[in-house]
Amino acid sequence: MSRRLGLLLTFAVCAVPARAATPVIEIEIRDHLFLPSEVRVPAGQKIKLVVYNRDPTPEEFESYELNREKVVMGSSKAVIFIGPLKPGEYPFFGEFNPKTAQGIVIAE
Amino acid sequence: MLLTSVIFVLREVLEAALLLSLLLSLSKRLSIVSSWAFIAIVTGILGAAVYGFNIDIVSEWFEGVGQEVVNAALQMAIYVLLCIVAILAMRRHQDRPVSENVLAVVMAISVALAIVREGSEVMIYLSGFLQARDLLVPVLAGSAIGAGIGVSAGAVFYYSLLSLKRRAAVIVGGLLLSLVAAGMAAQVAQLLIQADWLPSQYPVWDSSWLVEENSVSGQLLYALIGYESTPTPLHLIVHLSSFVIIIFLAMAAGRSGTASLENAHA
Repeated sequence: MSRRLGLLLTFAVCAVPARAATPVIEIEIRDHLFLPSEVRVPAGQKIKLVVYNRDPTPEEFESYELNREKVVMGSSKAVIFIGPLKPGEYPFFGEFNPKTAQGIVIAE
Repeated sequence: MLLTSVIFVLREVLEAALLLSLLLSLSKRLSIVSSWAFIAIVTGILGAAVYGFNIDIVSEWFEGVGQEVVNAALQMAIYVLLCIVAILAMRRHQDRPVSENVLAVVMAISVALAIVREGSEVMIYLSGFLQARDLLVPVLAGSAIGAGIGVSAGAVFYYSLLSLKRRAAVIVGGLLLSLVAAGMAAQVAQLLIQADWLPSQYPVWDSSWLVEENSVSGQLLYALIGYESTPTPLHLIVHLSSFVIIIFLAMAAGRSGTASLENAHA
């Protein structure tokens, strides 16, 4: 059982070809807003998102479309890997302040 | 602000509440004293506070993906504990000697860990409003309402499970336990993909047109079966295989029981 699972996992790992350096995108949180609130990223590629929280209060980066969720403490940063994405729009929001903290990733 | 905190806390509480109700009903069926649940809730909340207030340190670990790794470890531990629960519960169901204490301890640890995982986010959320005096009261009120709804949903779930007949309860309870456990394991994959410890891939499908993850049904399905509208191949493999593994373990425990009973009669 476990050997078969291991084999499957190996296949899954090999299915993703190695790529050159991962592009890094930086976003800031200020006054419960994402800056910039719209980020354009290359489609079909893994992206390293670095979220700097400049507020003293914690925030949670959340996106159903990107399938991501991560706490970013006040005055600190968080690294979140996203993608590869098909071309399209992927909204994200701050779960602790969802009315103001809204943003979108546009893959193209 | 009030509504935001109701929804946020409800989301966090729901998963742990459903797991607790499921195990409590199981414990009642197997005539195990349910005091373990109280200890699990108290230690879970204490653990959530400790974890929540140290999350900035944890986040720094493993080049900034400490949160994902620790959460994945918590989820994995819960999955393994639920596999043990499935095996022991099956044995006890067949009236074979299984220590009541061992089962109670395993269930207690799994619930406590689930509360640590979900509760820590609530602690972090609330900590953000400690300085904001004008918002603190509505946020606390909203959180209490959200927690109340989550606990009520758990209670409804608990009594529905207890109302089932014995045979149906074994099948439905066992199936739900396996689904919840597999959902926990799937989150391990999800978290490690986010941390870039496991490869990221294109999703296999997008079922958000059918059930949106942020809808009420989406949230319930997430808490129950780990519903994910855009799963990647790896996520699916882990989800399905962990479901098969726990079912297999429970059935193997059941089968060996039947065999030994037959031997005893012979």
